[in-house]
Amino acid sequence: MKVLDIALKDMLRSFRSGFALVMMFVVPLLITGIIYSAFGGLGGDGGFDLPVTRVQVVNLDQPGPQFSFSFGQMLVGFLQDERLAELLQVTEAADEANARAAVDSQDAGVAVIIPPDFTTAALAPEGRASITLYQDPTLTLGPGIVKGIVSQFVDGFAGTRIASGVVADQLGQRGVAIDASLMQEVAMQYGAWAEALGRSRGEGAHPALDIQPPPSKTEPVSQGAGMMGPIMAGMVIFFAFFTGASTAETIIREDEVGTLARLFTTPTPRAVILGGKFAAGFITLIVQVVVLMLASAVIFRIRWGEPLSVALVALGLVVAAVGFGLFIMSFLKSTRQAGPVMGTVLTLSGMVGGLFTTGFQNLPAAYDTINLLTPHGWVLRGWKLVMAGGGVGDVLLPVLVTLGMGIIFFAVGALVFRRRFA
Amino acid sequence: MRVIDLALKDLLQIVRDRRSAFFLGVMPILFTFFFGLVFGSSAEGDPRLPVGFVIHDESDALSASSQTLLEASDAIRPVLLEGNDADSAAESVLSKVEGSVRDGDLAGAVIVPVGFGEQALAGEKPRLTVIVDQNTPAGQTASSAVQAAMTRLLGAVETARLSAEAFEAREGFESEAARRAYLDEALALASEAWLQPPLTVAVEQSGAAAEEGEEISPNVYTQSSPGMIVQFVVFGLNASAMVLVLERRSRTLQRLLTTPITRTQVIAGHVLAMFLVVFLQQALLVAFGQLAFGVDYMREPLAILLVMVTLALWVASLGLLIGAMSKSEDQVIMWALMAMFVFSALGGAWFPLDVTGKTFAAIGHLMPTAWAMDGFQNIVLRGLGLSSVLLPAGILLAYAVAFFALAVWRFKFE
Repeated sequence: MKVLDIALKDMLRSFRSGFALVMMFVVPLLITGIIYSAFGGLGGDGGFDLPVTRVQVVNLDQPGPQFSFSFGQMLVGFLQDERLAELLQVTEAADEANARAAVDSQDAGVAVIIPPDFTTAALAPEGRASITLYQDPTLTLGPGIVKGIVSQFVDGFAGTRIASGVVADQLGQRGVAIDASLMQEVAMQYGAWAEALGRSRGEGAHPALDIQPPPSKTEPVSQGAGMMGPIMAGMVIFFAFFTGASTAETIIREDEVGTLARLFTTPTPRAVILGGKFAAGFITLIVQVVVLMLASAVIFRIRWGEPLSVALVALGLVVAAVGFGLFIMSFLKSTRQAGPVMGTVLTLSGMVGGLFTTGFQNLPAAYDTINLLTPHGWVLRGWKLVMAGGGVGDVLLPVLVTLGMGIIFFAVGALVFRRRFA
Repeated sequence: MRVIDLALKDLLQIVRDRRSAFFLGVMPILFTFFFGLVFGSSAEGDPRLPVGFVIHDESDALSASSQTLLEASDAIRPVLLEGNDADSAAESVLSKVEGSVRDGDLAGAVIVPVGFGEQALAGEKPRLTVIVDQNTPAGQTASSAVQAAMTRLLGAVETARLSAEAFEAREGFESEAARRAYLDEALALASEAWLQPPLTVAVEQSGAAAEEGEEISPNVYTQSSPGMIVQFVVFGLNASAMVLVLERRSRTLQRLLTTPITRTQVIAGHVLAMFLVVFLQQALLVAFGQLAFGVDYMREPLAILLVMVTLALWVASLGLLIGAMSKSEDQVIMWALMAMFVFSALGGAWFPLDVTGKTFAAIGHLMPTAWAMDGFQNIVLRGLGLSSVLLPAGILLAYAVAFFALAVWRFKFE
């Protein structure tokens, strides 16, 4: 029972410390909560609520007297369409200088500058024109959206020109007479096709593309939840390892204040004392991981996966965190050393293990392999598999590796401590 | 002189603590370097997002055109994956591709089914399969770029059909093979024309540097370097706030009051030390950013100095407030951590606010850290000068005054 008494004392100390509670529960939820609010949580239905991009448009298009229409004016109307109002806040600028000045002064994110020869170039056989998007370099999403919308519009006219050019080239090469009515007919047919395509895309369906998400065995409750799962997993792992190290730090703290020496004077074997410390870390971590998982499931609607697989991965995490914490602390002599060393080792191993980049896509392929040099990377792999719907068979390898690593770290740490206090 | 003596004493105390060196210098450099390493290496060579491209039938007329049009995109690059027309093998390829997209190895994938070209050119409406996770920024970009490229491909098909119809109406094809050859030629001509379309969209970046023809190439560090400066100056103040708490607990503050030094001088001495620590930390990180990461802070030395000074004033006031509120070392670390996470994440130090939702972005811009990021980015990214940082610096100064007033109000000597 002495093991439990020692464990209980350490746990009481942990759960009575405001600082420990904040590090165990508040900070991981706070960080995930902030990211959740930034990318998924403030859109009402859990979807991402895109910011509106302020656009200044200046139409310099002068089609000439032979044209009764202006493609430039059509583009302005297209950008001002009420269906785009959720994405763009469009204002017509008096001239190019004013439009550019609005972007320079950050009153607008993008200026769309339609050149004077836009209509003429679109209709002349060899004409070329370019619409300029003048953008704030600190913005990424808004200008990308504007570019996509303007390109879609421009491609409609460019396609008409290309269609006319190809027909003229092919028929001309074969000696077929080309008249204006044929060209007009081709242009009208292509225009009608492009308009129908644009309408279809505007309604959210591409007529030739089946756009599918990559299949996951478990569907996330919402867009935000799908993105938040790996981020929360990264936070759970990082702060579980922090707790593991903090729990092991109590050995050094007790050594400093002399309570450990006093404990050694009692008929309590060293193995029991160390066992009590291990039990305290183990139970504290189980509480921490379970609370964080339940809280994140409720707050961020994260589906962690099939219960048995989740339990196995969580067990691997707890053992690895306790073992790793004891391993680090076994090499330190004072609590003054503990702060920076713990910070450095946990931060570095967290970085290498991929805990801080869970929300990022398309990282170098080699990084996935580097992640597996640390127990953190193996636990993360386990969580990712579970959240993708993996069963016990799928997570067995990462769980066995984390358990193995945890046991080895613990054994080495325990050996060093035993020698130190022999 | 008493104020300076007190500040020097604090500085000495902070510098002697190894933990301070870690949080003030090592951690921010490590984080900046790490994010640069990870994202920098992913941007090496071709920085466009990789999109898998599976052709099940290489003899398909549209295969080459679709690959050409995807290659022309400035946002994505096709990664040719092995396809197979045998049903079972096709399923295996599909499953592999889906796994790569799900795991983030590919931003998306385009699968061209057998007979796609034949059907499209015959006027039918075959469909391409695009696997993409539109819940991610990379997936959204890939989806948009694939749609644009594939719309051009369909435009090329429509062009080929129109041309063939026009020829047939006037001359007629001798055989089906002749018609097919005509269609293939039309398709190739149209695809080639799409590589240099007559109407284009060109992007120009604003800023004084762009106007002067000076190149400011946004690298992976133009966000992470100022971001980590802002984040770690907030956290770095825990060392200075700690000194205050230790002095209160050891009753040094009370003892100081028995000397001829005034209360105002004591507070001023501590604030001066905090200001110097934060300023020197910024100087170190700015120098590191300039020399190691190529972020051109020094293109406008006066402007950068103004941002650094006002940021240091605000952070010192925050440090004083934390020191005034905390009763123990643990509380100092806790409040400093909270301040770091809340101010840096909401203020755009972790990710640009323009990629976040509009409510978050609006709240974020109320943070002093958002104005500090604006100040830094006006210089390093927008290429602007001193006048551009006056507003951010003014707002930081106003925050500094407000926090200082709050800290003095809460300050207790015992």
